[in-house]
Amino acid sequence: MRGPLPFILIGLATLCLAFGSYYGLFVAPPERYMGDVQRIMYIHVPTAWAAMLAFVWASVCAVMFLLRGTWLWDARLEAAIEVGVVLGLTLCLQGAIWARPTWGVWWDWDPRLTTTAVLLVAFAGIIILRQVVDDPAKRATWSSVATVIAAVDVPIVYFSVTWWNSLHQIQSTPDTVATAFHLPLRMNAVGVLLLMVGLMIARTRHAQLRLQRELADPVPNQIPTATIAAGGTE
Amino acid sequence: MTPGVLTGGWEFVWAAYGLSFAMFALYVLSVILRWKREQHL
Repeated sequence: MRGPLPFILIGLATLCLAFGSYYGLFVAPPERYMGDVQRIMYIHVPTAWAAMLAFVWASVCAVMFLLRGTWLWDARLEAAIEVGVVLGLTLCLQGAIWARPTWGVWWDWDPRLTTTAVLLVAFAGIIILRQVVDDPAKRATWSSVATVIAAVDVPIVYFSVTWWNSLHQIQSTPDTVATAFHLPLRMNAVGVLLLMVGLMIARTRHAQLRLQRELADPVPNQIPTATIAAGGTE
Repeated sequence: MTPGVLTGGWEFVWAAYGLSFAMFALYVLSVILRWKREQHL
C-alpha cells in the first residue's frame, strides 16, 4: 500500500486541469448569451460527472461488501463516499456562483438543485454514521445499506432536468454544446476523473490501514501478573 | 447592451475556479496527511 500510483494520477490530473482551464478561460470563445460567465461550465460539468461517478462507485462498493463481506470493499466504500461528498459540495458551490449572474439568485429549489442537495445530505449523513459507529462490522453493513438507499437518488438527479420543468439547463455533454467548447470540457473532465481516482486510491489505502489497526487483536493494557512472576514479558 | 445577453461577470468565473481549485488542493492535502499519519500509527 505504498505505491506511487495516487501521486502519479494526481500529478497527471493537475496537468490536465491546468491545460483545460487555461484553454477554457483564455482561448475558447465566449458563449452567445451567457458570455464569459459560461466558462464556469468547463469546471462545473466535469465536477458533476465525477461526483455522480463517485456515488455510483460507492453503490457498487456497498453491494459488493454486502455480497462478499470483504473489508477491501468497505475501505473502497469509505473512500468513494468521502470523495463524492467533497466533489458534490464543490459542485453546489460552483453552481451557486454560476446561478447568481444567470438566474439572479444563488440558489433555487428547482428539481435538479433540490435532488442534488438531497443526495449530498444523504451521503454526508453516511459519513457521520461511519464516524459514530465503533464496531467495524456494524459500521460497514449499516453504511452499505444506507449507500444503496441513497444511490437511488443518482439517476433522479441525472434525469431531473428532463423529467420536470427545471430552471437548470439540460445535461451538458459534447453532444449538447458547441464544438469550440469540446476541448476544454474534455480536458477538465479527464483531469477531474484522474483526480477522483487518485484520491480514491489514496483514501482507500488510508481506510485499509485503519481497518487493519481496528481489527487487530487488542494490546493488553497491563502485563498479566502471572507473566511477571514467571520472570518474562513474552 | 443586448437584452438577454450577459456581459462581464469575470469575477464569478474567477470565484468558481478559485474555489474549486482551493477545495481540490485542500482535500488532496487532507487525504495525504491523514494517510501518512495512519502509516506511522
